[in-house]
Amino acid sequence: MHHSRKNKKKRNPIVIISILKIRDLESFSTNLGERFWVKVTFHLFDGRKLEAEGKVGDSLLDVVVNNDLDIDGYGACEGTVTCSTCHVVLKQKDFDRLPEEAGDEERDMLDLAYGLTDTSRLGCQVILTKDLDGLEVKVPESVNDARS
Amino acid sequence: MPYKIIRYICLKYLHKGGYSVEHVDQVCLSLRKEYGKCVKMAGLLGRPDMLFIFDAGEVERVFRGEDGAPHRPSMPSLNYYKHTLRKNFFGEEKDCAGVIAVHGDSWAAFRTKVSRVALSTGAAAQYTEQVGDVADAFINRVREIRNSKSETPDDFLNEVHKWSLESLGLIALDTRLGCFESCEGSESQRLIDAVNTFFLCVGELELRTPWWRIYPTAMFKKYVAALDTILSVTLSHVERALQECKDNSSKSLLQDLVTAAGPRVAAVAALDMFLVGIDTTSNAVASTLYQLSKRPEVQEKLYKEITGVLQGRPLKAGDVSQMPYLKACIKEVLRMYPVVIGNGRQLTKDTVICGYNIPKGTQVIFQHYVMGNSDEYFSNASEFRPERWLNRSTYKHHPFASLPFGFGKRMCLGRRFAELEMHIIICKMVNAFRMEYHHEPLEYHVHPMYTPNGPIRIKLIDR
Repeated sequence: MHHSRKNKKKRNPIVIISILKIRDLESFSTNLGERFWVKVTFHLFDGRKLEAEGKVGDSLLDVVVNNDLDIDGYGACEGTVTCSTCHVVLKQKDFDRLPEEAGDEERDMLDLAYGLTDTSRLGCQVILTKDLDGLEVKVPESVNDARS
Repeated sequence: MPYKIIRYICLKYLHKGGYSVEHVDQVCLSLRKEYGKCVKMAGLLGRPDMLFIFDAGEVERVFRGEDGAPHRPSMPSLNYYKHTLRKNFFGEEKDCAGVIAVHGDSWAAFRTKVSRVALSTGAAAQYTEQVGDVADAFINRVREIRNSKSETPDDFLNEVHKWSLESLGLIALDTRLGCFESCEGSESQRLIDAVNTFFLCVGELELRTPWWRIYPTAMFKKYVAALDTILSVTLSHVERALQECKDNSSKSLLQDLVTAAGPRVAAVAALDMFLVGIDTTSNAVASTLYQLSKRPEVQEKLYKEITGVLQGRPLKAGDVSQMPYLKACIKEVLRMYPVVIGNGRQLTKDTVICGYNIPKGTQVIFQHYVMGNSDEYFSNASEFRPERWLNRSTYKHHPFASLPFGFGKRMCLGRRFAELEMHIIICKMVNAFRMEYHHEPLEYHVHPMYTPNGPIRIKLIDR
């Protein structure tokens, strides 16, 4: 499902319209008119601000990958919870309203995250719900390396 | 950038210092003391220079700087087996050589196929009850084989190997191998023996002069025969399991792997799991049981936690995540006695480490045994304190000093299953017995897992 958005760029306008229609239909039939796409803003440590949309059920890592967001080294382990490169810092109120708390696997990896905070999560484990529309997260620096 | 050479000749230890493979732990401690946080080992016969890193901050930098396909220095002998001796099998299908002793794109492609299935956070939990059944069988078995003093027999470690193999058979092959009923000459005992032989030979072949590169030594022949045994037994089980998959709708790791990546990937993944997933786990468990048997107060705390969660009912998926002290105990054992004393990478680019410019291709070894036992990284490092893993504000530690499963793209692929197996067996053992140890303390040795040297004679008193 993720690929339809990515491939959209390469298709001709008619196909785009038909994809949009299918998406609307899906959204209409499954959510009865409720929002199906969620807007997320990533604030990068270098000051850049990236905005993108993800589907309900996508993880923040999916949003980064599906939108080809340029965040260096983000999600190196492809969401298998073996690294902490998809580390994000949330606002306290967003952190508190995430439906799922971090599991043991995620907590073990968060221990190894650079610049860990009390409201840190791994992006691959943050799943979008429609309540999270407009979510803003910080993406901290990932490599503590000033020397090379 | 001057590349300071700290030349250290292994031969010094080999001849004068009474060096043996078994005491690499002591060698590493003294290297750290004598030469500092970064020691180059040069002049090693038949292998590239090695750099030992004793600095957790530098370990962190190397891990964080990893590219898409980190290169793990692996056993050249296994390389030779997979890519030369048996290249017809491992090379037949593209990207199907596995993860152990495989590098670059071929590794990355295989890893991606397998890791989504094997490392997904729910992958292991579905095995809770089945792995629990194997643990129950193990407990029944040790009840039977206790001696007249209620102590575990001298070959207790072999019994733990059987438990490990039985658990892995279940996970990798959807099969109960029947290891506890196994006798001399049975298929599961052959598999256990072959895995043991593989590990004993690998240490000797890799850490001593590699004569096998010139001619097939007796040791090398034993090694190849052991690998052939593991491969053929694994393949026969995968084939049988594949047949059963067709009629059976229950989901399992093997079925998920077959669906996601095809039968050959599933078979090779199973082989790799057998090569590195049996005695790592069993030695960690034996070591943990031994350490707990010396600490009644830790056991009592554990027992309280476990009975509080279980309330008299059998263990089910999700219970273990309510047992933080159990997990902390295992982390603490692996900090002080990591079954693999050091992990490593072969640098895929020039890297600055401890201020030295270390060229691409160098093997760097992260000295987790030394770092894990250093007061610099863990307060009161010589004390067994599981609490340090629970209360991060009271006990500060460097997160990269103790990494029993590694970190990043090349983290242990079997971690979820290994942890599940360990949590369950320790949980059930503590729940079933009060464990005591009434003999001389055991020293640890590198065999080649870091493990107590000598019979682990634990007195098991039924609770």
